[in-house]
Amino acid sequence: MKTKFSGFLTLILAFVVQITFAQQQSVTGTVADEDGLPLPGVNIIIKGTSTGVQSDFDGNYAIQANQGDVLVFSFIGLKKAEYPVGASAVINVTLESDAAQLSEVVVTALGIQREKKSLGYATQEVDGSEVSDVPTTNFMNSLSGKVAGVNIKASGTMGGSANVIIRGSASLTGNNQALFVVDGTPISNANSNTSDQKTGRGGFDFGNAAADINPNNIASINVLKGAAATALYGSRASNGVVIITTKRGSKGKGIGVSVSSTLMISDADKETLPKYQKEYGAGYGPYYQSDDGYFNLFDVNGDGIKDETTPFTEDASFGAKFDPNRLVYQWNSIYPQLDTYQQATPWVAAKHTANDLWQTGYTSINAVALDGGSETGSFRLSGNNTMQKGNLPNSEIKRNSLTFSGSQDLTEKLTAAANVTFTKTDGKGRYGTGYSSGNPMQQNRQWSQTNVDLYEQRDAYFATGENITWNPNGPDNLSPIYSDNIYFSRYENFETDTRNRYFGNFSLDYELNSIFSLAGRFSFDTYDELQEERINVGSSDVAKYSRFNNRVAEYNYDLILSFNKDITDDLNLDGNIGANLRRNSQNSLYMTTNGGLNKPGFYSLSNSAGPIVTTSFPDPDTEYDATSMIDGVYARAGLGYLSTYYLEGTIRRDRSSTLPIANNTFWYPSISSSIILSNLIDATWLNFTKLRANYAEVGSDTTPYNVFNTYAVTAPFAGAGVASNNSQLNNRNLKPERSKSYEFGIESDFFNKRIGFDVSYYRTKTEDQITPVPVSTATGFATKYLNAGVVENKGFEVLLRLNPIKLTDFNWNMTVNWAQNESQVLELLPGIDNLELASLQGGISINASPGQPYGSIRGTDYVYDSSGNRIVKSNGYYETTSTSNNIIGNVQPDWTGGVQNTLQYKNLSLGFLIDVQKGGDIFSLDTWYGFATGIYDQSVGLNDLGNPKRNTIANGGGVVLPGVTEDGTPNTVRARTDYYANPYGYARDANKGHIYDASFVKLREASLTYDFSEKTIGALPINNASIALVGRNLWIIHKNLPYSDPEAGLSSGNVQGYQSGAYPAIREIGASVKINF
Amino acid sequence: MKKYFLTIIALATLWSCQTDERYENLNKDPKNPSEVKADFLFTSAIVSLNDQMATPNVNDNIFRFLAQYFTTTTYLDEPNYDVNQRGITDRHWSELYRDVIFDLQDAKSIVEADSEITDAEKSARIGQLEVLEVYAWSVLVDTFGDIPYTEAVNATEFPLPKYDDAATIYSDLVTRIGAASTDLEAGQGFTGADVLYSGDMDAWNKFAHSLQLRLGMRLSDVNPSLSKSTAEAAIAGGVFTSNADNAQLQYQSNPPNTNPLWEDLVQSGRADYLPAATIVDVMNNLNDPRRATYFFNETVDSYIGGVYGGSNNYGSYTHVGEAFLDPTLPGILLDYAEVEFNLSEAAKLGYSGAGDASAHYNAAVTASIEYWGGTASQAATYLTQPSVSYDGTNNQFATQFWLAMYNNPLEGWSVWRKYDAPALVLPEDTGNPIPLRYTYPVNEQNLNQAQYEAASSAIGGDKQTTPIFWDIK
Repeated sequence: MKTKFSGFLTLILAFVVQITFAQQQSVTGTVADEDGLPLPGVNIIIKGTSTGVQSDFDGNYAIQANQGDVLVFSFIGLKKAEYPVGASAVINVTLESDAAQLSEVVVTALGIQREKKSLGYATQEVDGSEVSDVPTTNFMNSLSGKVAGVNIKASGTMGGSANVIIRGSASLTGNNQALFVVDGTPISNANSNTSDQKTGRGGFDFGNAAADINPNNIASINVLKGAAATALYGSRASNGVVIITTKRGSKGKGIGVSVSSTLMISDADKETLPKYQKEYGAGYGPYYQSDDGYFNLFDVNGDGIKDETTPFTEDASFGAKFDPNRLVYQWNSIYPQLDTYQQATPWVAAKHTANDLWQTGYTSINAVALDGGSETGSFRLSGNNTMQKGNLPNSEIKRNSLTFSGSQDLTEKLTAAANVTFTKTDGKGRYGTGYSSGNPMQQNRQWSQTNVDLYEQRDAYFATGENITWNPNGPDNLSPIYSDNIYFSRYENFETDTRNRYFGNFSLDYELNSIFSLAGRFSFDTYDELQEERINVGSSDVAKYSRFNNRVAEYNYDLILSFNKDITDDLNLDGNIGANLRRNSQNSLYMTTNGGLNKPGFYSLSNSAGPIVTTSFPDPDTEYDATSMIDGVYARAGLGYLSTYYLEGTIRRDRSSTLPIANNTFWYPSISSSIILSNLIDATWLNFTKLRANYAEVGSDTTPYNVFNTYAVTAPFAGAGVASNNSQLNNRNLKPERSKSYEFGIESDFFNKRIGFDVSYYRTKTEDQITPVPVSTATGFATKYLNAGVVENKGFEVLLRLNPIKLTDFNWNMTVNWAQNESQVLELLPGIDNLELASLQGGISINASPGQPYGSIRGTDYVYDSSGNRIVKSNGYYETTSTSNNIIGNVQPDWTGGVQNTLQYKNLSLGFLIDVQKGGDIFSLDTWYGFATGIYDQSVGLNDLGNPKRNTIANGGGVVLPGVTEDGTPNTVRARTDYYANPYGYARDANKGHIYDASFVKLREASLTYDFSEKTIGALPINNASIALVGRNLWIIHKNLPYSDPEAGLSSGNVQGYQSGAYPAIREIGASVKINF
Repeated sequence: MKKYFLTIIALATLWSCQTDERYENLNKDPKNPSEVKADFLFTSAIVSLNDQMATPNVNDNIFRFLAQYFTTTTYLDEPNYDVNQRGITDRHWSELYRDVIFDLQDAKSIVEADSEITDAEKSARIGQLEVLEVYAWSVLVDTFGDIPYTEAVNATEFPLPKYDDAATIYSDLVTRIGAASTDLEAGQGFTGADVLYSGDMDAWNKFAHSLQLRLGMRLSDVNPSLSKSTAEAAIAGGVFTSNADNAQLQYQSNPPNTNPLWEDLVQSGRADYLPAATIVDVMNNLNDPRRATYFFNETVDSYIGGVYGGSNNYGSYTHVGEAFLDPTLPGILLDYAEVEFNLSEAAKLGYSGAGDASAHYNAAVTASIEYWGGTASQAATYLTQPSVSYDGTNNQFATQFWLAMYNNPLEGWSVWRKYDAPALVLPEDTGNPIPLRYTYPVNEQNLNQAQYEAASSAIGGDKQTTPIFWDIK
């Protein structure tokens, strides 16, 4: 791919050079605005050619032109000006502001272009450069902190998914992810992660599908937040829409080439990794065979005398105090393959801890685009190559994509257009997640021995290629008991995946007359993916090979009639009537070997030790095959009066195959209006003020197969067929979900747009939620599909634009985003007190309960006296509740925000983004277990007596827990902290003790860019160029969660607020170069 | 202008006009059937029931810890009777209700609606389904006490099922198991799907009566008259007469149809379980010949059990016997030894037809030793020991009964609860009391709260130390 591109590039370059060196005269001048201030970045093109330049920072330009040529000066928000080239070599130009241009045009639902000022609902636009200047492999992560009301959480693994929630979670258990639409094509943002993965039980995070969108192709992103904005999309858009408009060629501009290249170096942020104690080694406590109880006895060196050995099976560090003079037969002494066989080594802390696993990774993103146009058509062809080497050994993701977009006027009235993107993503060695051996953080954060040197483990693997683990069954049984050698696991038990994706659309637009136009569009989004997982023979888990073939497709057929007519001079009517047919299908096959592999390292289903078993039991199904269709008709009409008063209404009817026939058709309306107050107020300091209000209802269907009951057929037993009732009771009477929302907003610009704000208040009520409601299993079912509840989301969004300093050479722009969303469960069906979203390891659950914010965390709590003191039992430990249904936290943040700054001095600009989350709770399974295994620095140190905490009680160790005894007197009893059953870990603590505040303040992005002016590169055939130093996740300025990144999670989906084997934050620093020819 | 509107509206309407049938068909899952034969459900229920009774997995049940046959090496929550951390009671509850009882009841209605089989065949099949259902209900009562019964497994009518009194349920089960025998005699039941007895209806009848005997004897303290009539009916009907009659599932060599013990002892590659000192010490004192099968001295020279509920170093103790590492090891629902122990107790209580208490005791011990690979002469020698030779004491009887139930651990725990012997120990780590029942599932607290609270107060508190109704001594 790369070589082809560079060949092509050479040709283009030669071509461009030829054009540029034709004989011409030099024209120079200055471009200024009405106030006389110089205008940088004005496009100056010789009419009818592709030749053009931009004015520099001082408004100066220089261009080669022939007499008789016409120079076209254009700048956003200003009127275009044309000046013929005469004898004079100097043309100074003043551009006037353009009222029409000022009313910015944005792309709204179904690709309908609207004047932004006429909209009665909130949208927030993000320029494409915001997601491509500091590129990431998943562009959604670049939106974090940039759009008010959009909450983005990256899962933290290489290529992992990003959870994108707009204005809170409206659906109790269904999809809460925003819809992505690229140039009119709805794009799947599903993740194919298993429910085990989403609930922390293991598996890989394969990312969500919208990551296939190439950030370098994005011209702009428009986020439609409320139902009124998205109502025309129908049921699927109830979670908001992210509309992406890609870059395209422009008519009459000739051929242009742009090249950009970025290289980012990445490293784990140490602040988000465990801090290990360095004083004590392996063990759970003093109960082994040696005299002091800390070591086992085994004759390792064969001299007939039993030697002290590490308790190999013990994945904890509550063992003997380190003592360099004590020689112990450790893991490296019992493997005959190693040089250290039968050698005792000093009992000391590891020189290289598990944190040394993290290596430097890199991401390179290279993009080339070619665009051009004639008088009747334009095209753009772009290619992108992304190569990411992860921060764990043997991990990488490669992505190549090609996009073509073109449009051609076939006649004066008929235009044909096409956009097609092909993306191929190949992953290898994605990080295992959750509580599984595939996740090295499981041992590193929860279960390990601080005496094990990671580099020695590494060298042992590379020297032998075998699973030489620190955690074997014993000197006489070297098979791993719980944990594998991490390097063995990374290099032998890796996954691979590949996804080929095609999406795009073909459309025809016909202008019937000056009022009507008709558009037909076919859009498609299909992908095929293959995910292969491996576990080699010799691992702690049963060896296996599995493959998941998944084919997903969506096809949309749209027909839209649009009209626009000035009824009188003051009154304008515009609108659309249309029909949409949508077909979604998924067809997948999951197969896995059974009972192990016969030939080690050979990954094929044919290598299965036992006969392969297929099953229709859920997750993953062996086979899944579903198609759904929704047919919709809709209409929209908008009235504009005096370009000041606007009113718009929409209505849509959908019919969905996922609902029972009797209830499968649903209607929903929206109405919105706006008033441009600034047109009524004559004040020079006020540039623009708009009031807006809207009301909308949106209906929503469900996923296939929730209406009729089925059986799960499982593997036969001794030749007898086996089937069981599914644990989900389906519902023949489901009806569509309905959300009703209203929104008010005001936006304003003052003082020559030096200050601007946009504030929205919204309230959305989602009724008749279609939800699999967990029921008492005494009913024979685990869940029942019901129209179960009402959830309300309400909140404020504030967008503040400031331009505190504006000088000739220096400019400072600041954008502040702030959003607060309250998501509350108003009611569930009578008799249902609580809806459990997920029941998670550690005995906690994430819930939606009436009167509570969505996402309450339930688990065990401490027992308190009437004044709120924790009660301590007579043995010195806290009393904890016997019940696990106490509310101990909530995953919803209080508010989120971002502050983006751009400081520009001449050609140099500095941008940085601070991203803030306040509140929200997280349960850490990592400290829940890790505090019981004594690996963290928290487990050592001195107690109130000045003695080491880890001394026995008799030796003055232990801690006095703050609290009161049953009779109300302060506790004075010391609790043991020298073994696993200390008061802080899972063995004795309440779940509540491991709930942390997930607040953070992060320096999310920074970039330092230098734009080469025309002067510098005038001699080169280059239109403009820039180089930049960029960084992401540079600094966690503040957080309250110890040892971890409060943003780290499991996957996209509804289970948030839980960490199990969390991955560290990854800091990226790099440089990028952009050149436009 | 109008014509454009009309055209587009007409087109749009036409376009979106699909038949109802087409919509509905799309919503029918081609990969999961909406109908199956009762045979499939019957087999599934047998396997699910056996799996739940046999598994030692700390996510599913803790029977082997409750009977103190096993303990663990490193992770001590479950042998210390923490059932909430892993939602053990939730899983036990849902397995039995959802994957056993519901499938059995569904199978019954499919059989009843089946026009291709005779009424006699229907009765026989319903009899087979009924025996298993009574078994499953009794397991639920024996573990929890009061449970949803009359309103259970009816999600449409009773989404929040109320709990019924355990003693009343037991009485009903006694009636039902009696009626099941009559059904079984009507004709030929399931054959190919019958992975317990391959359609041997005589064997099923013995199983029904043996279960009837178990239920009867369970009631001996709390309801002597019902106990007597039930046990006598069982004996008259004909119970197991040899190990060949055992209700046990022959597991297969390949997953997922292996004995669940194999999954956790062998396939997992872990070393979590050890025989507990509680049983090892008793057997050492009795010089029990079954030790060679029950245990395996892999790393030590003599039989040493792990400290119950305390931290144990795997290599320092006796391991679980090799027979239990075989994936095909049968899972036991009810065996001949248990029947003989129950007959012995019935005889002791003077139930008619029960015969001689001592003879049944000897037969029980012999059956157990022989089942686990011992010889008749080993059994005879064992029985001559003063501490083993039948003396009619509660402690001796219960100890032998308990030893014989090593691979039917729920029964082992029930023996301890009913006879209050042998002496079990408090778990080393926490000293928590040995449970007399499971606490109700956490899910019931969250999802069926009102009924849960009513039940909780009815039994005198949802605690592990609240006894089951038959455990009055």
